[in-house]
Amino acid sequence: MTLEISSVDSIIIYFEASISPKILNQVQRAYKLLKPIEGIIDLTPSYNSLLIEYDIMLYDYQTIQKKIKEILTQHSKTQSNISNENKLIKIPTHYNTILGIDLERVAKINNLSIDEVIELHSQTIYRVYAIGFMVGFAYLATVPQQIITSRLATPRAKVPKGSVAIAEYQTAIYPQDSAGGWNIIGHTEFDDFESFEVGDSVQFMRLR
Amino acid sequence: MSGFRILNAGIFATIQDRGRYGYTHLGVCHSGAMDEYAYLWGQMLLNNHTQNSIELMTGLKLQATAPIQIAITGANLSFKINGISKPIWQTHQIYNGDILSFEKQLSGQRAYLCVQDGFILEKKYGSYATTLKEGLGIKLCRGDFLACISSSSSHKYRVKNSEIPNYQKPLILRVLLSYQEAFFSPKMKEKFFDSSYEITLQSDRMGYRLQGQAITPNKTDIISEGIAFGSIQIPQDGQPIVLLKERQTIGGYPKIGTVLPIDCYKLAQANIGSKIKFEVINIAVAQKKLQDFNRYFRAYLI
Repeated sequence: MTLEISSVDSIIIYFEASISPKILNQVQRAYKLLKPIEGIIDLTPSYNSLLIEYDIMLYDYQTIQKKIKEILTQHSKTQSNISNENKLIKIPTHYNTILGIDLERVAKINNLSIDEVIELHSQTIYRVYAIGFMVGFAYLATVPQQIITSRLATPRAKVPKGSVAIAEYQTAIYPQDSAGGWNIIGHTEFDDFESFEVGDSVQFMRLR
Repeated sequence: MSGFRILNAGIFATIQDRGRYGYTHLGVCHSGAMDEYAYLWGQMLLNNHTQNSIELMTGLKLQATAPIQIAITGANLSFKINGISKPIWQTHQIYNGDILSFEKQLSGQRAYLCVQDGFILEKKYGSYATTLKEGLGIKLCRGDFLACISSSSSHKYRVKNSEIPNYQKPLILRVLLSYQEAFFSPKMKEKFFDSSYEITLQSDRMGYRLQGQAITPNKTDIISEGIAFGSIQIPQDGQPIVLLKERQTIGGYPKIGTVLPIDCYKLAQANIGSKIKFEVINIAVAQKKLQDFNRYFRAYLI
């Protein structure tokens, strides 16, 4: 675990740079411990990091770092009870090259048939590792090794709501029309984005 | 009912306050006034403790239905009352039937129209701020009515000339190197700080896309992480994007550092096509600058 200054009034904690349920739980634990602290304005958890925005009229960058370290080490000795209850959300998905405008390219880059990409994507059960980018945008991981695909070099100005997309080891559904640089491989009518919680399981169901 | 009727919404006018804090873990972005300096001056002129404003670009035209104390700050958009040019960065007493217009962009991008005690609206997630992509707040449309209390004052308050920013001045943004700065070689950093970048048309409340010397990190993808205000994101094409009030809460492009918030407020007023430069600042000095800013507006930081 390392603490780094991210901006004039924020600190970012980095945990081990891997994507695993174990690290996810560490991030959640730090989030819960720091949540009630006075002068912490916002906490943004993600896969292996926690962004902490604080009131610089209460703390300077040195005192906040000291305080965070104290809180996290103090509690590392005590047993934490983080509930692991989570639900499985199923996402009916249209996979095709019309709505999934990057599907063909994703197949080509990875030397797979379109059908293989779809099978690999829909047969994996993902977990919600973070919610962000926009309201209800759940970062799902981990995408099977064979279909890991880099983001677009230049993000698109508009990606339609309901687009199912891949960026590296992550997959997600765009809950709104938005700018974005992920590879779009399908589309869903699913609309209950507020039901996503970090830790939930998600599976895409191929519609034929 | 006292308030303003919108006769023409212009290019883009929304309700903004200082932003929505405490919900980034749900993906709810901060939003709020793009230029807090101008916004806070508007509130200070009116001694407002209930705060919101109209953040507007050219073309807005509205009519008062009662006597109302207002303050206009920010961009010079040739503000007129009943067709007669009026100074900005000061309060004005408006009367029933008066028509306020902002017809032409002379300097800056965004003006703030504040009214005595704020517009009477409902907060969502603790804020009046508008974020269209989240369906929060209000984008003004022709025919809308915004209610506020009727107010009168025989005093006029104005901002000293020395405190009024010149938005035409060449802009140097102070940057705290942070986040993935180690992904950028000393040579790349040198290139970044030596170059000037042009503000492109693809600039909005989410972020300002710049164009100039491409800089490339030695790693391109990172694990998505929380994005602080003013983060300078470098996508694969090497053209920096300064992320502002409606930035996404989490993202996976490398960031070379963060622009000091008070400089982001100036960037929000810079003209499309104008050139900016970056300069390094250290954390101790950066904190001092922001603390000074906060102390200046202390009583109005709601």
